[in-house]
This record gives sequence, structure tokens and C-alpha cells, in this order.
Amino acid sequence: MNLFENIKMAFASLKSNKMRAVLTMLGIIIGISSIIMITTLGNILRKSLTDTLNSQGGSKLVAFQISLKPEYVRDYYMTEDLITEDMIENVAERFAEDIEEIVISGGYESGKVRYRREDLDVYINGVNPGYIARTSDEIIAGRYINDSDLARGANVCVISEKQAKKLYGGVKEAIGQRFSAKFLGQNHEFTVIGVYETKMTALMSAMNSLNTTAEDWDTEVYVPYRALTKIYGGSEEAFFAYYAIVNDGVDPTSFCEEVQSYMNNRWYRDNDSIMIRYMTGESEMAMMDQVMGIVSMVIAIIAGISLIVGGIGVMNIMLVSVTERTREIGVRKALGAPNSAIRSQFIIESIIICLIGGFIGIILGILLGNIAGVVIGTVAPPSTGAMVLAVSFSMAIGIFFGYYPANRAAKLDPIEALRYE
Amino acid sequence: MSKTIIEMKGIVKSFYIGTPNELEILHGLNISVPEGQFVSIVGASGSGKSTLMNIVGALDRQTAGHYSLDGIDITKISDNELSSIRNKKIGFVFQTFNLIARTSALKNVELPMLYAGMPSRERTKRARELLELVEMTERSGHMPNELSGGQKQRVAIARAMANDPAIILADEPTGALDSKTGRLVMDIFHKLHKEQGKTIVLITHNPELAEETDRVITLSDGSIVSDRMLKGGAAE
Repeated sequence: MNLFENIKMAFASLKSNKMRAVLTMLGIIIGISSIIMITTLGNILRKSLTDTLNSQGGSKLVAFQISLKPEYVRDYYMTEDLITEDMIENVAERFAEDIEEIVISGGYESGKVRYRREDLDVYINGVNPGYIARTSDEIIAGRYINDSDLARGANVCVISEKQAKKLYGGVKEAIGQRFSAKFLGQNHEFTVIGVYETKMTALMSAMNSLNTTAEDWDTEVYVPYRALTKIYGGSEEAFFAYYAIVNDGVDPTSFCEEVQSYMNNRWYRDNDSIMIRYMTGESEMAMMDQVMGIVSMVIAIIAGISLIVGGIGVMNIMLVSVTERTREIGVRKALGAPNSAIRSQFIIESIIICLIGGFIGIILGILLGNIAGVVIGTVAPPSTGAMVLAVSFSMAIGIFFGYYPANRAAKLDPIEALRYE
Repeated sequence: MSKTIIEMKGIVKSFYIGTPNELEILHGLNISVPEGQFVSIVGASGSGKSTLMNIVGALDRQTAGHYSLDGIDITKISDNELSSIRNKKIGFVFQTFNLIARTSALKNVELPMLYAGMPSRERTKRARELLELVEMTERSGHMPNELSGGQKQRVAIARAMANDPAIILADEPTGALDSKTGRLVMDIFHKLHKEQGKTIVLITHNPELAEETDRVITLSDGSIVSDRMLKGGAAE
């Protein structure tokens, strides 16, 4: 009695009860497909996040921010704790070889722009000239904010392509126009010096598509951060954080370690509560992985429960099948089938139910994962490991939950079985 | 001198052993069947026919006594060895045919050979030969539910012959058939007996069928009440 014959027999038996077989498989299908779906989705999210991060400096982008010392005595910031322009300049000079660009965002205000009879939302972002490197933006007309704009705190701005088209009827037409935005309770005027266009990565356009106004409007407007400082009425610049983009070939982590200890030694040694900490693109990635890990774990637990329930369903149906086929089992025994042959016949039937369920689940999971992927805009292959795991797991369920019914069939008394009506 | 196929000495079968309801069904039967004999066992229901058949067919073990089949002592052997003996030495024919559902006539005939571990090609070849023997060749691809009772029983007989067993054990083979098809089935048994020299044990409560065989053993209340040899018993 070989395996192939057993498999053929199992398929014949499943074919004769298609509806039942499918319903039995359902639990397995749901369990396996959710595992495959979440791993596929994880890969997709990871890929698109990597794309997005790479378009904005990627792993070369690092951040330095003030944060609490482990032995802090107060849990709030004071003006003296902030990172000053001098500090950033000092670091930029000290580490000039390693740094490609310093990126600063000093102030972020939400405001309104009057367009015909409606108020459109804008965010006024006070930036330095290096800021464009950490965005996915490209200048398509005019120029970006330069050092002289920044130094003077000039009232100039860079607006988006959509804003230019809507407000001034075109990209070129926007240059030199006056851009008036109301924020902090007053109207402020800026001269448009440049127009940018955002090169969307898949993830960004997906996020954007959730925003209904994004169709013909962008909210981001860039001005020199000193222009904002003037509006605030301050004179000195200080920041919670700044970014740096490191040169090619520079290891971001060791660069960060150096800068972090340099800044801490020089300016924060005597601070009782505040120090500088760095974050790299990789650590963002690690955080994302951690979140995905937790989500995956939750789904895996749910899928596991579904698989166990599915397995019990398989066991139930196998018990029914054994009872229904008692007479057949009796005949097979009379014809000389050893117990082992009967046992393997039913175990293989149960394995096949689970394997078919597993395969359908894998296909369904890949499909669902990629449908979600299409929405996000990236398609990724499912993880091979998850598929191998899914197949072996469904097989294990087949064996585990098939063994008891199969053993019961094998141990039937042939005389009783033959007499069974 | 032909050899003895069934050798039973002092066969006792009891149920509920060790309980107050202990029940002895067979009370020390002695039966000896030589090779090539067509023997029928008759008796009213409750006479112990079925119990005897189960023991002869190696489906059950006797409580006491000695039974050897085709020279093999099957008094104390394991379940798996019993399976193997059923597979190779006994061909069952049941009253209710007991073909495996949703399995073609050909595959049904192949089944005992499958359990015997015969290679697929040989199996199919032999199954076709056997179906030809019972004149069912053109129905070999049919499923049991597409066959009439007589046809089913012919397939079942072909299946019983699959591993060229030492005995064919037929339990009321015509019981579920009308007299005409029953006749046809009996003719096949006679043919197998005459042409192939098969040892056949026919269990029936129909005295007329029993009269066609070489020898009639009559059971009553678990004992043999008569054991007659019939001259020219095989009727055509």
C-alpha cells in the first residue's frame, strides 16, 4: 500500500464530498491566509518605507535632538537647553568632512490662504537651505531658499506646483508674486521665489490619496526660518533638533556617536537634566520593525487560534467520515488491509484537506496582501519562510488532528464494522 | 491425495468471557475440508453460522480449539498476521456485495492486490483477467452504483479471487438477489470450483443451494447436527 495510492484514494473521497471538504478547509484557509497576508503586507510596508526614507536622505539622514538624561531632575525643557545656531555651526565646521548637508526646521505654523471665497490650509515651514535634501521635493521654477535669504530673514517663500497653479495660474507666473498667508492672528506677506514639485514615492501617494484636498492643493510652504523668528519677535535661534545628511562612505552610526558625545561634552555636561541623543534612519527602521513585529505577533496569535479551531474542524469531520465509512473500513479489513493501511489512509486524507487548505490560504494571503499593496502602491513577494512555515504547519495540523480519527478507524473490529448499518 | 485446507478441532467460541452473561456460541466443532471441495454450511439463524464464518474467515479468533488454514496454524497470531492471512488465503463474498463506493469495478478488484503490495501494472492486468472470468469486462470502469445486484456480486467474486486464495468464503451470496441472478452467481461458483479447483465454503440458509454442493454441514445451536457428502452434488 503505497503513498501514491493513498493520495489518490484521499482525493477520490474528498471529491465525493466537495462542499464538506471546502467547509472543513475554511478554518485552515483563514488561518494560513492571514499569516501569509500579514507577512506579505509587512514586506510591502517595509519596502515602501525604505523607498520613502531613501528619497528623503535615507540611511544617510540622522537627527540630533535634546532629550532627558537618565538621571534627570526636571522633566521639562528650558530655553537654555535648546540647540543654538552656534552649536550647529560649530558641529558643521568640526565635522565638515563627514557632513553633506545640515538640515534645520525652525518653526512650523498652520495658517490659511484666501483663494476666491475659501480659506485653504497651509503650513508655513521655516527652514534652512539644506532642508530640501531631506524632502522628496524638486525645484521646477525659480530657486530654493539660499544662505542670504536665511541670513536676512527675507520674507520669501517657496510654494508647491499645485499652489502655484491654483493661486497664480501657472508655475512660471508664480515667481515674483506676493503670497499672503494668515497665521498667528495676522496676515503675512512673502515673495514667491521658487516652486517645488514633490516626487512621490508609492507610500506617499497612497497616504496622500487618503487626503481629499491633496488632489489640487499642497499645504507645505517653505520660508527661511529667520523670517519666522522675526514674526515671533525673537532674535536668537534655538532648536529642539536638527538633522544632518552624512557624506557617502560615512557610517551614520559612528558619526552620530561622535557628534553626540562631542555635543554632550561641550555643551551639556553641566546640564542637570538634558542631553543630546541621536536617531538614524536605521533606528527608525528598527522602530518600524518593532511595531510590525508586534502587529505580526497579534495576527499570528489570532491565526494560530483560527488554525487550532480549523484543526478541530478537520478532526470532527474525520470522525464523521470514519463513522460513515465504518462498513467500508470493515470491507477493507476483510480484504486484508492491515491496521496501518487504514490509519495512513485517514491520516493522509486529513493531511490533504489541510494541505489544500494551506495552499488556498497561501494564494489567498498573497492576493489579499498584494491588493493592499496595490492600494499602497508597492507589490512585494511574500516571505518564503512564511510559506514554508505555513505548509509545514498545515501538514502538522493534518497529522495531529487526523491521528485520533485515523487510529479509531484502524482499531475498528472488522466484524462489528462489517455488520454496521 | 489432496491436502487439507481447513482443519478445525474442538472449536469453541464464547462471548462476554468472565462476566455473568458468558455465552458459548460454538461448542467444540470439528471440521476438516480438503482442497477443492465445495462445502456448504447451513443452519437457521442463531445456529452459530456467522460466528463460524468469522472464525473460518480469520476475522475472529476462537476461544478454544485449534484451527489451521492451508497448513498455517492461526490459533495464536497477531492482528496484522490475521490481516495478511485474510488478504492472501481467503476470498470473501458477502450477501450485500460490499463493493467500495465511488470506486470502479476494476479498482475494487485490484484492492486486495493493492494491500498485498502487487505493482500497479500487474494488478490491473490480473483484475482485467478476473473481470473477464466473471464476464464483466465491459463494465470494468463502472462505479458500484451503476451496477445491478448480480453485476455487483460478480465483481465481488472477481475481487475474492484476486490473490488466488486458498478458499472462497461466501456468506449468503445470493441472499440479496432474485432467483435468476442468484442462479447466475451460483453458476460462477460452480465454474470456479470445476475449472479452477477452488475450495469454496458457502454459508446459506437455503437448503436447495446447499444440495448443489459436494458436502452439506448443518449447524444447530452451535453444534454440527449433520455432515453429509453428496454424490454428484454439483448441478448444472
